[in-house]
Order: sequence, then structure tokens, then C-alpha cells
Amino acid sequence: MTDASDLPPPGPAPEPAAPAPVLMRGHLHPAILLLRLLDALRQAVLPALLGLVVEPWFLALAGGLFVLQLGYSLARYLTLEFTLTGDELRVREGLLERQERRIPLDRIQDLGFESTILRRALGLAVVLVETASGRGVEARLDALSRAEAEHLREVLLAARADRAGGGQPVPDGTTAPAAATALAEPEWTVHHSSAGELLLRGLTDLRLSAFVVTGFAALQFADQLGLASQVAGVASSFKDWLGRFPPAMVVLVLLLLVAAVIAFGVVTTTLGNLVQFHGFLLTLRGDVLQRRYGLLTTRQKTLPRARVQRVTVEQGWLRRLLGLAVVKADSAGGSRGQGQDTAGGWDVVVPLARLWTAEALLPALLPGLESEVFAWRRGSARLVLRMALQGLLLAAVLAAALAPRFGLWALVAFACVPLWAVLGVLVYQNLGWAEGERFVALRHGIVGRYFAWVPTGKLQAVVVRQSPLAQLLGLAELTIYVAGGSPTRLPDLLLADAKGLARELAARAAAAAAAER
Amino acid sequence: MVMPEPSERLRPAVIAYWVVSDGLSAAFFGGLAWFVGRPLLAEHWRHWSPWLDDALLACVVFVLALAFVVPPLAFLRWRYGFRDDLLLMRYGILFVEERAVPVARMQHVDLLRGPIERLFGLATLIVFTAGNEGSAFRVPGLSVRRAQELRDRIVQARGDGRL
Repeated sequence: MTDASDLPPPGPAPEPAAPAPVLMRGHLHPAILLLRLLDALRQAVLPALLGLVVEPWFLALAGGLFVLQLGYSLARYLTLEFTLTGDELRVREGLLERQERRIPLDRIQDLGFESTILRRALGLAVVLVETASGRGVEARLDALSRAEAEHLREVLLAARADRAGGGQPVPDGTTAPAAATALAEPEWTVHHSSAGELLLRGLTDLRLSAFVVTGFAALQFADQLGLASQVAGVASSFKDWLGRFPPAMVVLVLLLLVAAVIAFGVVTTTLGNLVQFHGFLLTLRGDVLQRRYGLLTTRQKTLPRARVQRVTVEQGWLRRLLGLAVVKADSAGGSRGQGQDTAGGWDVVVPLARLWTAEALLPALLPGLESEVFAWRRGSARLVLRMALQGLLLAAVLAAALAPRFGLWALVAFACVPLWAVLGVLVYQNLGWAEGERFVALRHGIVGRYFAWVPTGKLQAVVVRQSPLAQLLGLAELTIYVAGGSPTRLPDLLLADAKGLARELAARAAAAAAAER
Repeated sequence: MVMPEPSERLRPAVIAYWVVSDGLSAAFFGGLAWFVGRPLLAEHWRHWSPWLDDALLACVVFVLALAFVVPPLAFLRWRYGFRDDLLLMRYGILFVEERAVPVARMQHVDLLRGPIERLFGLATLIVFTAGNEGSAFRVPGLSVRRAQELRDRIVQARGDGRL
């Protein structure tokens, strides 16, 4: 199987054979014009209103804009043409500024469909073509009929399977009729999220910080509109009003307020989750994973299993307490931090499930994982000492800074030391790694817990890093780079363990990469 | 699987190169702080005192001194080498790093020669892997011939002009 990291650069195919036959050719669906008309109308509303109320010449502006936009849309619609051949997808568009984009089939990581409520009513879908370039969406076909979009995907997947099968001679001399099998293959349901799971996902979503940010943004907005003084006035009159109550009542009222704010946050995130992941279905057909979800905007995303670079199982502290987990898969090109979702939830493979359910369906994402035996090994207990020493350093700095003002009270800062040590114990309890034949598994966390499974063949680089304190204690941090997502870090291993693991992994990655050719 | 440590050193000329480039930037910023920043602060800031003068001077001297002390240490620590299909490197004074990059995973290779590097006949080899963060790995202080040799070796190991 080939992989994003060792493919020829885009351009003419290496063998000077006759051009590959055209498999499919098409244009956007005419209904896109209706959508564009609505867009243009929506944008013309404001100038038109201004024209009616303020200055009549705004009306002319609105009309001019409307016509221009419509003309542009019409030109784009008429000129856009996509062509799928045996080895590439070509999208040509533009009237004055012509552009032709060619995407080699084996560069395509993912094919996604998205349709808003309006598009759905018209039976349309947006097709998103993703490559490993790191830019995310490489090409966007704004509206195809659903049937045509599905057909495009079928043909594309079949052509790619054919290419991979034809490009690499199979040992016994037979090339598998991949195209036929890909289409004939039955579709298995891997996971179907129940409404209860999605509800739980929303309830255990701890991103109240996002809520705080929203509040802050609203305040800034009010400030821009010159409403800040009003807000301040409301706040002070609220304070006066509170002042009439006895202190116990004030505390109660404030607590109620906080509870109301939190409840509001929980309700909005829960609704958001229910709407975004409504009816989440993960299926497997042949070697291709597919996700379908969404209530208002429906999304459909295809992810060939061979493109999966890493699978993570994430448990925030609340979800860990309840034994729940989220499963995500990284393909080349995407980038996200731990605990974050990419926009649209593109990387989520299972929105929420019991931990054991989640672990049981991992082999569907990473074939071969089921036959692996993982002997989990722990990080070094010296990390507690490292954390305590770090706490001590921090405490010393803090105490020195606070001493001139608070005198002896500054020594309170030394409470950091036991606190950091306790954190160290928590980190130690969660830190672990295991090496299988073809996969490496990592585990870390403080109160929550995060697992990562990386196929050793997908590894791009391994780094062992030692900070000054780690050198003192003989510890090291191991970082594993794959082509998708942010690097996976494993802190505080014994130096010998870290080096041994790094060498072993690097050697395996090299061997796997060599075997691919 | 046991593999030996990377064993090759950089060219000693890299010390001179680092001293010159670090020294130049240290001199530039030190000069800026001392000849421009200090008079400005002394004039416009009420709390300025001779004591701060001394502290600033000490800082400038320290940074300049670092430009002379760090390069030899960095040179002593730097090791690189090819082992099987891996490019290994090991470096760092306070923070020690050891990196391993499978040659087959390299996307492309660059040779970089800055103006000062050219003066000393040196080149930097930069290899890129797929991925987003930290996907570039550099080996500085190679002689031009050695750098070209390494690049050709990587290209050859990758085979069939795939780079």
C-alpha cells in the first residue's frame, strides 16, 4: 500500500503511456444557480434597504451588485467542468482567469460531502476533496446532485483501488480486480451513535471556557457599540439592588446566577452536539471507512483505512469518571491539538461510547490491531521527583518575588511543592506505553486519560529530548511524528527506555517504508 | 535491535561561523540597547538609575560572551550520521535532543548556504518529512562536498527519482 509520504510529486505520470481514459465528466447541478440567486438577493437586501431609507442611489448600487454577482455565478457555472480519469481529478473553471487544477488520485486523502438544509431540500451536496498538503480542502465542487456525488465517489475509489492494485504486482502474479471488489463489498456498520450517547457527549462536554470567551466577545462588542457605560450602569444598579438583601441572600442569588449561566452553557453545548452529530453512523466497506452525520447540515466523509496515521481515544476527566471515551482518527494533512476537534468534527470517528466499546472497535480502524498483544510498560517514578523539583523552583521564584510585599507570608508559595508532587503521582499513574508488532500504543494524562495508537509503518520521525532537569534525573521525553495531527509526546521515560524505544521504532519505520517499495 | 550512536562531527569551521553570526547579531542588539535604548530611557524614564546602567551593561557583555562560549560547546555536542536507513542526529547543550528520521520518509532535501556560511565554505542540509509541526530537520556546518554527497545519498536511497 502506498502512503502520502512517498508518492511522486503532482504532475505528469512517470510512465509516458497514453493518457488515462476519462471515467467521468460533469458540471455542477443547475440548481446551484438558484442558490447563488438567493445569496445575491440576500446580499442586495441591505444596500436596497439603505436606498429606500437613506439615499436613493444606494438602490442603483444594490441593483448593480446584484447583476454583477449573478453574472459571475453564471459564468462560473457555465465554465466549471470536472473530469475524472484513471489517474487524476481535473477541475477547470474561470472565464477571464482560467484555472485548471489537477489532483492525482493517490494524493486524495479524503472525500467529504456536506449539505446544508437548503441544499438537502434541493437534493444537492458539496463535494470536498482533501489532500495531504496541509491546506485541508484542496478542491470544492459546490453543488452536485446527491446521486452524482455518490457516483463520483464510487468511481474515484474504484479507480484508485485499481491503480494501487495495478501499480504493485502481487507476488503470485495475479492482480486483484480491486475495482470490482470495492463496489461489490458489503457495507458493515461499525458504530451507530444513539441519541443517548450524543446527549451524554453534550453533557460531559467541558468546554465552558468557550462559553466564557463568547461572553467576553459579547462584552467587547457592546463596548464597540458604546454600550459599555450602559452595561456598567446595569451592573451598578444590580449591585444596589443586591445591597438591599442580607448577605446570606446575596450569596444565594449569586450562586443561582452562576448555576443559571452554567446551565445555559451546558444546554447550548448539548444542543450543539445533538445537532452536529445527529444520527452519527460509522461504516466500513472494503477498506474504506465512512461517516454520515448531522441534523441541519449533513456531512458525509470517506476515509480509506490505509490513510489513517493515528487513532486516539480521549477521556476528559468527567468522561473518564463515567467510563466514556471519544475516538478520533488523524489522516495526513489535518492538524489539531489534543482534546480539540477540527471544525465540523471531521476527525471524530466515534462521538462517544463506553471505553470498552471504543476499544473493541479499534481493529476496524487499524486492521491488524486485534492480533497484537500489548504489554503495557510504565514511565519512570522519578517523574514525581522531577515535578516536585519543578514545584520547588517555581516556589522559590514566587517567594522571592512576593517577599518584599508580604514578608514571611510569601513562604506560602512553598505549598507548590507538595501540590506538584501530587500532580506528578497522577501523571505517573497514567503514563504508559506498549510496543506491538506493527503498532505502538501510548497513554498519558493527569486526571483525564488519552490513548494513542500509531502504526509504526506510518512514523515520520522520532525525537528524544532531555531538559536540564531530566538530564539530572536520567529521564527523557519521547516525541513521535506522524503525517497527521500534532506530534504525540510521552514525557518522563527512563533515558534508556526512551532511547531503546526510539531506535526500535525508527528502525521499524524505515523497514516498513522500504517494504512499501 | 541495537544501533550505534551517530558518530560524525560537523566541520570545525562551524565554530567560527557560529561565533561570527551569533557575535554579529549579539553586537547589533547589544549596541541597539546600549547606544539607543539607554539614552532614551535615561532621559524619559524617571526611575532610571546608575544601578540599572550597570545591570544593562552586564547583560550586553553576557550576551556577547555567550556568542563566544556557546559555539565550541555546541560543536562538541553535535553528532550526526547514517545508520541503515536512518538519519540520526544528536545535539544540544542544556536541552539535549536525539532525532531519527527514516530516509524513506523524507519528502525533499534542501541545501542552504547563507552569505556567512559561504565565507567559511559551509552548507546546511535540511530534510523535510510529511506532517505539520516540526517536519523539517537540519544539519548545519557541513562542507559543501559532504552536504552534496549526503543529499545525493538520500536521493539515491529513496530511489527512482521519487524525491
